[in-house]
Amino acid sequence: MVDQATTTDAFGVLESRGVSRRSFMKLCAGVAAAAGLSQLAIPRVAEALEKSVIGATSGDLYPVIWIEGASCTGCTESFAQIETPDVATVVLDIISLNYSETLSAAAGYSVEEAKAQTIEAGNYVLIYEGAVLEGWNGNALRVAGETGNEALIHAAASANAVMAVGSCAVNGGWCAAYPNPSKAMGVQQFLKKEGIDTPVINIPGCPVNPEWMMQVLVDVVLLKDPSLVKLNSFNEPADLFDQTIHDNCARRGHFENGEFVYEFGSKEEALGYCLYPLGCRGPQTKAQCPVTLWNNRRSWCVQAGSPCIGCCEANPNDPGDNWVQVNTPFYQRFRDLRVGDFTFQPEPVAWALTGIVALALVCHGFGMKKTGRMDGGAPFEPIRKWDAKHPDQAIGTYADPEKGGPVLSAELTEENTHHAAAPADVVVADYEGEAGGEAR
Amino acid sequence: MIFVVTHWINLVCMLLLILTGFIIHYPFIAGIMGICRGVHLFCGFVLFLNMVFRVVASFIVKTSPTGGTRKQTTDIKSWLPQKDNRHQALEWIKYYLFLRKDHPLGAKLGVPQKLSYLMIPVLIFLMFWTGLCLWGETMNVPAFAATTTLVGGAMSMRIIHYYGMFVFIIFMFIHIYLANVESIAPTKLMFFHKEHGGLVYDPDIHNIVGEDFDPESCVETRAKRGPIDDSHHVTRTAS
Repeated sequence: MVDQATTTDAFGVLESRGVSRRSFMKLCAGVAAAAGLSQLAIPRVAEALEKSVIGATSGDLYPVIWIEGASCTGCTESFAQIETPDVATVVLDIISLNYSETLSAAAGYSVEEAKAQTIEAGNYVLIYEGAVLEGWNGNALRVAGETGNEALIHAAASANAVMAVGSCAVNGGWCAAYPNPSKAMGVQQFLKKEGIDTPVINIPGCPVNPEWMMQVLVDVVLLKDPSLVKLNSFNEPADLFDQTIHDNCARRGHFENGEFVYEFGSKEEALGYCLYPLGCRGPQTKAQCPVTLWNNRRSWCVQAGSPCIGCCEANPNDPGDNWVQVNTPFYQRFRDLRVGDFTFQPEPVAWALTGIVALALVCHGFGMKKTGRMDGGAPFEPIRKWDAKHPDQAIGTYADPEKGGPVLSAELTEENTHHAAAPADVVVADYEGEAGGEAR
Repeated sequence: MIFVVTHWINLVCMLLLILTGFIIHYPFIAGIMGICRGVHLFCGFVLFLNMVFRVVASFIVKTSPTGGTRKQTTDIKSWLPQKDNRHQALEWIKYYLFLRKDHPLGAKLGVPQKLSYLMIPVLIFLMFWTGLCLWGETMNVPAFAATTTLVGGAMSMRIIHYYGMFVFIIFMFIHIYLANVESIAPTKLMFFHKEHGGLVYDPDIHNIVGEDFDPESCVETRAKRGPIDDSHHVTRTAS
């Protein structure tokens, strides 16, 4: 089993590969940047690389097992495009990728044996890509006689940490979208259900951004300091997932200026205005896309002219909060709401409800007019219904305990109004004719 | 009088919040997003602080529990249901639905009115809270982040905040309608503190005891009827 670097002379190795000291330090800077560390950390990275990889007498490449769950392999494809450091450096010099359905050169019995040996030896990191499926009684994703769920339980139990890469591995992703026939969920939730307490680091995205993955790998594997990865309440690296796309977006200025693209193919689109009215999920999606960028820091969705579709939205404890379900239709400002098989946009329902109320009030107004209540309201009841039925528990005091009627009293009126009661010759209110202007 | 001011603040803030809220939801008027966000945040805080002040003041400031009385009580007693309102809830509903002809007896606020006014501070608080869950500066505060998680993510939170606005809009429709349909006198009182005459309802015996004598209308009446001794007339002063 190959998980040992056995070289003895760091510079000899570098020279034999045609690597100058200068380009080695450039690599270190790249790794430090990937880890989200400052320039000051470069010597530390160099030291770590020299000790752990290049100059190690008894090398200690960190063993990694990479298991595919219900995935499209897109995250592997994404990872395979990384160039800082390039994938060969990562796979050959930084980690010992002992098992990967997609990347391992070995196949069949030998690779399964390598996996079994790695698990037995322990002290490795498990990278899990894709959703965990509970449907079909957990019989999905069978490889080498083991169901996908068994393989995950087996490999996660003795791992130092599990990296759930991609939104599917975080909470089921689009596999978990309604009606979720395969009962997809994320690694963290599944392991919790199974009582496995191996720490899980969630890195959402569809696919995962290779540089984010690299940052976590560098922190955990190379610098051997998992405390460098500060996790938020979703167990995501806080440095990567605590700010919204909107916070760092290059088009944010156009947003604040109120310069928007309302239609694809319009003049505004050509001017590179903000894509907010076309359903951009940047303001509600937390990820560092505008900073790290994609395709080796060339561009990213919004820069390329597409509104963000929120692929990093993933609550690891709630497969229902998967990015597809909460963000579709992508070009609308709101998601669709669902009642049974009926889906609708929230706005028309709110407007319809308001319209119905307005219409009801107009009809009510005609009723008020017809019943003559608009002139101060209907006359007051002479006695409360309750009081008439329960004279012993009466609330009010009445002129007549049975028939009711106002207790007309100049004294009480003056006490209330703080001025004299109306003189006798002044026409006073029609006590039975109206309720008075204060009825509302 | 202080509650005339708080009511004005409520009105202005709510209208601005609704208007700017619609533009923030979908910028159908281009060019003013920055202004709208600023106004929306400012009015949100003002509305919330105004609500807190209004609730605290209701325990301190005295107001009339009904029109035409100077027997003032702390305002919270007019706000919370009292003995006066007992057994009248159903009667009010029946009155609104034309299922009874006469007006239920009671002081200035009816039962459905008291209940809906009691819900307003709760609603303002919920709108403030959900708003802070969405605002970039506060969305990561643990309490707000936990609320967002609880409702199923930021998208659900946005929809809740949006529907909350429509609760306000529908409340305003009903409120404006009912406050003016029988007489616009309550509106004049609320906005300009212009008092008016009418029946005097005694809050202690829970019944009508006479009419609030309005010197001006008395003058008109007197003009028709000839002069009388007006030495006992006392000019009303604003409370």
